[in-house]
Amino acid sequence: MMRQTVLVCAMALATGFAVAEPLTDADGIVARANLAAYYAGEDGRSEVRMVISDAQGRQQRRQFTVLRRDVAEGGDQQFLVAFSQPSDVRGTTFLVHKHVDRDDDRWLYLPGLDLVKRISAGDKRTSFVGAHYFYEDVSGRRPSDDTHELLETTDQQYVLRHRPIQPESVEFAHYDTWIDRATFLPMKIDYTDASGNNYRRVEVLEVGEFDGNPTVVASRVSDLRGGGQTDMQFRYIKYDLGLPEEVFSERSLRTPPRDWLQRSSD
Amino acid sequence: MRSILTDLPIRRPRSVYAIILLLVAVAAAFITQITIDTDPENMLPADQPERVFHNLVEDRFTLHDALVVGIVNESHPDGIYNIESLTALHTLSNRILQLDGVIGPDLMSLAETDNISQAGPGTIRFEWMMKEAPVSALQAAAIREKVERLPLLVDTLVSGDGKAAAIYVPIRSKDLSHPLSQRIRSLISDLGTDDDYFITGLPVAEDTFGHDMFVQMGISAPLAGLMIFLLMLYFFRSPTLVLAPMLVAIATVVIIMGLLIGAGFTVHIMSSMIPIFLMPIAVVDSVHIMSEFADRWHEDADPKDVIREVIGHLFTPMLYTSLTSAVGFLSLLLTPIPPVQVFGTFVAFGILLAFLLTIVLIPAYIVRMKPAALARLANRKRAPGSDTLLARGLRRVGRLSFGHGKVITGVALLVVAVSVAGVFRIQINDNPVRWFKASHPIRVADSVLNEHFAGTYDAFLVLSHNDDQSLPLFIEKSRQLLNAISVDAAESVQSALEADTSDAARYYGDILNAADDALFNSVNEPSIAALTELIALAEEAQTNAKYFQRPEILREIESIQQALQDSGRVGKSNALPDVVKVVNRELRGGAAEDYRIPETLPGVAQTLLQYQSSHRPQDLWHMVTPDYTSTSIWLQLTSGDNQDMTGVMQFVDEYIAANPLPSGVQRDWAGKTFINVVWQDAMVSGMLKSLIGAFVVVFFMMAVLFRSVRLGLLAMVPLSLTIIGVYGIIGWIGKDYDMPIAVLSSLTLGLSIDFAIHFIERMRALMRQTGSFTEAAARMFEEPGRAITRNAIVIAIGFTPLLFAPLVPYITVGAFMAAIMALSAVSTLVLLPALIGLAGPWFFPEARQAGAFEGPLPVPASQ
Repeated sequence: MMRQTVLVCAMALATGFAVAEPLTDADGIVARANLAAYYAGEDGRSEVRMVISDAQGRQQRRQFTVLRRDVAEGGDQQFLVAFSQPSDVRGTTFLVHKHVDRDDDRWLYLPGLDLVKRISAGDKRTSFVGAHYFYEDVSGRRPSDDTHELLETTDQQYVLRHRPIQPESVEFAHYDTWIDRATFLPMKIDYTDASGNNYRRVEVLEVGEFDGNPTVVASRVSDLRGGGQTDMQFRYIKYDLGLPEEVFSERSLRTPPRDWLQRSSD
Repeated sequence: MRSILTDLPIRRPRSVYAIILLLVAVAAAFITQITIDTDPENMLPADQPERVFHNLVEDRFTLHDALVVGIVNESHPDGIYNIESLTALHTLSNRILQLDGVIGPDLMSLAETDNISQAGPGTIRFEWMMKEAPVSALQAAAIREKVERLPLLVDTLVSGDGKAAAIYVPIRSKDLSHPLSQRIRSLISDLGTDDDYFITGLPVAEDTFGHDMFVQMGISAPLAGLMIFLLMLYFFRSPTLVLAPMLVAIATVVIIMGLLIGAGFTVHIMSSMIPIFLMPIAVVDSVHIMSEFADRWHEDADPKDVIREVIGHLFTPMLYTSLTSAVGFLSLLLTPIPPVQVFGTFVAFGILLAFLLTIVLIPAYIVRMKPAALARLANRKRAPGSDTLLARGLRRVGRLSFGHGKVITGVALLVVAVSVAGVFRIQINDNPVRWFKASHPIRVADSVLNEHFAGTYDAFLVLSHNDDQSLPLFIEKSRQLLNAISVDAAESVQSALEADTSDAARYYGDILNAADDALFNSVNEPSIAALTELIALAEEAQTNAKYFQRPEILREIESIQQALQDSGRVGKSNALPDVVKVVNRELRGGAAEDYRIPETLPGVAQTLLQYQSSHRPQDLWHMVTPDYTSTSIWLQLTSGDNQDMTGVMQFVDEYIAANPLPSGVQRDWAGKTFINVVWQDAMVSGMLKSLIGAFVVVFFMMAVLFRSVRLGLLAMVPLSLTIIGVYGIIGWIGKDYDMPIAVLSSLTLGLSIDFAIHFIERMRALMRQTGSFTEAAARMFEEPGRAITRNAIVIAIGFTPLLFAPLVPYITVGAFMAAIMALSAVSTLVLLPALIGLAGPWFFPEARQAGAFEGPLPVPASQ
């Protein structure tokens, strides 16, 4: 009896809150996961190193800094993505005002062409700068775009299936997520096409804790059909920096907010 | 050896049957393992540098074999831009994507292509060109408008006139092309559309070719057998007797094909012709034996003795004709085309096997024939007499030829002169698609699609930049900087610096990451300064390494493309500058004047970054490698003729000679259309070697056989005239010198030498026998003349079933073999007597000494 208690305690320590009573409402789990994955803190900063590999292992590298500010928890958000590597795309900047009730606003700045462009709301499932990630993976897919079904609850994870409400607007038939019961971070997402083939996988490789927030520090998306993958490494993660709203204004495209983009050593 | 061979069948005919039957059975078992190979690439050895490079390019730019589905609507005023046509195309494209074996991400169709366009002032839109099929004429027209703004799509995915669209279906393996094209055909019939659909592309062509090869072997070869049987029946009038050479022919073909397949060779277009080549050649020796046997046998004689005598008499000439024919075919080994070599080797081997089978099987067969059947044979032989049309005609030919030496030689020289002039007119050209008849669905699809589009034939002009100086320089400078960096920080940078440099993105990326991290953790001033400098160095090196991202280089490529377009030699070229220009234009607001390459390198890099933000970022790597050190210009040609491809290559050579490429840039060719040029060049030069090689060897054999250099030279005359004559005809009638035509030269040599051997050998024997040139000349045109003529007819007619073959190369071979046999029989029977009539004493010194030339010369029939 005694031994059992110790074991349970050890497991509880190891897995955080895994012993908590499991949730049974799929929409509720998705809402929690959405918050955990995209809304940690009031705002946040992270530097991303991206390695895009094709089926032959040939690489492309990208490095950029992401600044995020939540307008409302679980609601509207603002993102500023500024590229620093390779040097020929340095200064390229994306600005996204994400809205839950209407199309997002997106802007693009290309210093090499000295151009600020608005990007028309449209398909967000296009490649993000050549990576196997989509724009939608970066800013998050709206939970209301899919219906959710809880398939299974394991010791560690919730397994859910998501079906698009507008199937013609996406390339998948459905996708399944494995959500950590303790952190609510989606640890794996498998996309299935109309023929029933699992053609795409997003998976978390490493999780860390920053300012009290469980955070993905390494993830990978794999093209299971054509081969190739993109690895993302998140570094210098900080939350609740107090990012002011003007950081996310159109002005920031041409004149990047260096103070906020620069990493700090504290 | 010789006596065992000739004695055994007479003493133990049943054992001979048993052994041959066993061989045939074993060989037949191997034939079931047949693998058809229709890949024109295999005309080159696997290690041929051009072929290796071609495959490297396919990997480098992830190019796949593809089926091309063409959709044509000639009736609707908007062409294919109408609701029904686009809906059908959309449905088909989606259904094809579901098929197993299709490489979905690389499929190209209107439904799977991306569009970049304006969405109001200052706003850019990235979207699928046709995510959903249009539901109104307005939407269909909008799609047209979008397509026509994208030069990469016009005349590639949709024809410029809007009447045709294409779906390019990349497939995982060529073997899947047949099942996939069948399934696509059934998908098309399910569409219920009125548009015309065509399926083409090299994999389909190859597959259909394989099928037609089977048809050829299954129909033409047996048909050849039947023709030969009927001919011999006409000559010998005994079905029982004629069955014997047929058995020889069938056994030869089965054993050789079994051997070929059993040895692990695939059956290629060349080797599929082996049966039809062996069939007539295999019966030739039998015709000689049977002719002589029928002549010598009479009812009181023991067939065993007669056959022994006949074989003894014919063994040497038959051995020599077989050896020389075999040499003719073996000379194909000098041509560096593996399927041609396999063909030559196995036909040569088949000829020797046929000789062996003839001298064991025919005697065994004859000694087992019933006396009654033999009696009928003898009676029939004598009964119709010798005064057939053939016999009368031949006698007249003989008199004319021996008597009019000067005229005939003069005519022959004239023929040679005219032929040589024709040879210089020969156009060397080939095109595997033209191996199909003009009415074949593949040819029809080919001509329809090439009429509408910029071309279904691909060639790739590959530019690569090799820079072996910058990297060592960078490493050296970086090492010096490292000395100024504190030890712990230097360590990770050092190891990144020493790492593998083959992938530039990885190499510089790792150095920059290490230096960046080291910089962040550095506190001392010199370290910070050195690391900052090292980062700047690495960034510069990294950017410079991406050679084909430089705007000035892209403009060079643009000029090459423009020159090619202006030359009119290519339908269209597609390359990296086209992508950059379109994206630049749309980013800058869509005005036509912005269809240009950005001035700065970051401008180009950022344009490409935007292109990669599409649904299909991987499309970029069909044009340039991810490290930007190699780029490919995709040329679309409306013709797959080697001449046209050669013209394009020469044009590029001249252009580059006048406008040299930047230093360090290397140019190479790839693509199937190019590969065809390579093997054709190898074929042409190889065939010349084969011909010369065979000519020399056969001449030596002749000199040895006749123990006379003069007679050796004489023996070479008819076949030389035949070869020059045939190629003269080809030159004058304007038939392209292609694969089958190339093979003919060695075949001619191997086959037509037989006639000369028999003629000279018999002529000499007759002079020895009769002691008179006049008498010998007269007798020459009796039985020996008839045997030669019969054999020429058997071979010529034996090849005619090829005229009914479904594929053009077979038809060519059939037609020309008949012509060659006719020509060489005529030149043997006319030119040889003419020359002997002119210079008999010089050719036959022994006969001259024996006084054979002292009588009167044969008198022409007219005098």
